[in-house]
Amino acid sequence: MKKIHFLKVLRVILAILFFGPMLVFFLDFTDVLPDATHRLMEVQLIPAILGGMYVLAGGLLLLTWVFGRIYCSVICPAGVLQDIINRIFCIGKKKGKGIYRFGHRKPLNWFRYVLLGVIAALTVAGITEFCLLLDPYSSFGRIAANLFRPVAIWGNNLLAVVLNKMGNYTLYHISITSITTASLLAAGVICLLFIIMVSWRGRLFCNSLCPVGALLSVVSRYSLFRICFNHDNCNQCTTCERACKAEAIHSKQMEVDMSRCINCFNCLSSCKKKALTYKPSFLRNAEATVVAPPPKSRRTFLATSVAVAASAPIVALHAQKLLGLHATQRLPVTPPGSYNIERFKDKCTACHLCVTQCPSHVLLPSGFEYGFGYLLRPRMAYIDSYCNYECTVCSDVCPTGAIEPLTVEAKKTTQIGIAQFFEDLCVVSVKDQDCGACSEHCPTQAVHMVPYKGTLTIPKVEPELCVGCGGCESICPVRPERAIIIIAHPEHQLAEKPKEEEAIKVDVNEFGF
Amino acid sequence: MKRRDFLRNSMIAGGAAMSLHFEGLQAALSTNTVQVEKAPDLVAVMGGEPEVMLEKALEALGGIGNFVKKGQKVVIKPNIGWDRTPELAGNTNPKLISALIKKCLSAGAQKVTVFDHTCDNWQKCYASSGIEAAVKAAGGTIVPGNDEQYYSREITLPQGVSLKKAKIHEAIDDADVWFNVPILKNHGGAKLSCAMKNYMGVVWDRRIFHQSDLQQCIADICTWTKKPVLNIVDAYRIMHQNGPQGKSAADVSTVKSLIASTNIVAADAAALRFFNQVKALELDAVSHIGKGEALKLGTTNLDSINIKRIKL
Repeated sequence: MKKIHFLKVLRVILAILFFGPMLVFFLDFTDVLPDATHRLMEVQLIPAILGGMYVLAGGLLLLTWVFGRIYCSVICPAGVLQDIINRIFCIGKKKGKGIYRFGHRKPLNWFRYVLLGVIAALTVAGITEFCLLLDPYSSFGRIAANLFRPVAIWGNNLLAVVLNKMGNYTLYHISITSITTASLLAAGVICLLFIIMVSWRGRLFCNSLCPVGALLSVVSRYSLFRICFNHDNCNQCTTCERACKAEAIHSKQMEVDMSRCINCFNCLSSCKKKALTYKPSFLRNAEATVVAPPPKSRRTFLATSVAVAASAPIVALHAQKLLGLHATQRLPVTPPGSYNIERFKDKCTACHLCVTQCPSHVLLPSGFEYGFGYLLRPRMAYIDSYCNYECTVCSDVCPTGAIEPLTVEAKKTTQIGIAQFFEDLCVVSVKDQDCGACSEHCPTQAVHMVPYKGTLTIPKVEPELCVGCGGCESICPVRPERAIIIIAHPEHQLAEKPKEEEAIKVDVNEFGF
Repeated sequence: MKRRDFLRNSMIAGGAAMSLHFEGLQAALSTNTVQVEKAPDLVAVMGGEPEVMLEKALEALGGIGNFVKKGQKVVIKPNIGWDRTPELAGNTNPKLISALIKKCLSAGAQKVTVFDHTCDNWQKCYASSGIEAAVKAAGGTIVPGNDEQYYSREITLPQGVSLKKAKIHEAIDDADVWFNVPILKNHGGAKLSCAMKNYMGVVWDRRIFHQSDLQQCIADICTWTKKPVLNIVDAYRIMHQNGPQGKSAADVSTVKSLIASTNIVAADAAALRFFNQVKALELDAVSHIGKGEALKLGTTNLDSINIKRIKL
């Protein structure tokens, strides 16, 4: 049995340590893991940049400058997911068709840097959809939330049926409610793309479409630690080249393109001659000097960046018109802590972590109903659930700061929308029958019942008390249009705190009957 | 026997006799009927802790053995509708539930199951209400009530006026006997939430209640042939305004009472009269009670039934 290089073992262990908790957190439908698990999501590069955690983002770039793109093999869940797909692909295949099926290819520098430039420019200009669709962390999130999670829930439900029959209610049946056509489609497409690209050319995604991969490659090109050839030991057997998922090793020229190397260390393990080592570049032997990366690509990158950045505002304007970003009439209700819709759209990468963690299942990924500009982002959908008055989970777990942490007290006075009551539709006025379901569910009594005909009472809204939680809308029995709905605030407002009432002391000493 | 001894013994015996009570005999003599004490139709208890008041009520009703037989599967259906602590009186008092579970188990119940179709998130309701912990500590089983999966049994209500059928929780369908244990509350829609209103936590689709005459549907669901063996109204703390959810402690009065009856309409009518001492509320406004009477579920005429009142 071949000895596995310790660096590869270390890489795999670290990858599991990062990936495992992240995956379980996304699947965690029983709230076992603490909310603090979301810290692992915060060390993701794009969330860190969008969340304004520049020290962290700088730290990641520094890590890459020192060690190379270790990020892509350890921290990035989409990277690890691709490695898992590759593992599965190799099962039962001969080495030549499996783990050693790769070969050196030229880098797709023009493509990846232009794409990075375009994405960066558009994001700066406020169009984050392309960043969102290609961000590896968020793509992983959507796959986990919309594909893996339902599978886990089905498994749970099967077990629950058996256990419940035996009188054990540790597991309970869970309905899958937080998946929409759009989110399922988005997750399915990116997952399929991963499977196809990995089967065909390994980590091709990371070195072509991935904006994080492209950004890190600019730094890793000059990394201190590098994979180096020992010319004396190498017999040019090409094994390492064929083992390289990033197609970054040119064994004939004894070169490793560190801009594409994702530090998986498979090459180190594959080499029987110990001709490859991972060490700081300043320890390299004079003879083993690796050809410096072609400066052409840097120029390409800089030139395109500048050009794209300059044209960004114009592109953005046209794109916005073209995509109808401002064309939508209705606005989505955004979660408390997101402050306003524009800010939310700028920061949210639609990773769907909040969607999976919301205990009330009120957050739902959008499709095109609020325009392309709101694609896949979560909105408060008061279809049959509402935002719990005391709950701040979404704001606690959001890794990008799109939903900023709120204290429970602050949340209780955050008005994300206002209930609007349509008396002409209400059961009470239409049928002259009692209802009051809306008021029943109102935590602040912003919707309260006032005298109507005879003993009947009818809802009335006190807008200043309403927080927009959707309790009323979710429970209103009127169809097809409900008699009370939440109108979203484009900018969140401050709701009044319900007045503290004096408790009336009543002495009851008789039964009254 | 010497005369002296006779006199002394007689005095002792007489003294002993005088310290005995003959209330039953006196009552029998005064009414001129010899009666085996009949269990009352309704028991009202005031002034104790929930578990003590339950004890007294059950005692007056002939003991738990009158309701639960050995080996039976029991369901206790409290109101656990809201994510509220016991102090805010949104849910049935956990101490009452705990005490009732222990009673059922002492009577030989095979299993005691508790659930509610909550309004707020069920896990939060079960936890905040203190009921989940109380049930587990008392040896009962608390089961989830917020997934349609658990409401697979459909019942028909031939007597129902508006509501003709409903899907109900499997636990209550499987049970041999069940207890209806509501908390007494003000209610924005139904006006009063008590024993009859508590039935809504047994069914899955409540939208239809609100769509097709809430008050009638509440009365209709109570016509289900499987009646609770006892309705126990928790009035230890009552929510007199802003119900059924409540905003703050200002909505709550601690009145330390309990009403128990097999007659659901009488239980609600009595509870309403009791409620009226804190907040005025017309019987006509709580029209599901009258509609229940019309469906022959019981009587609102409290003078026509035998009531036992116990003050502690």
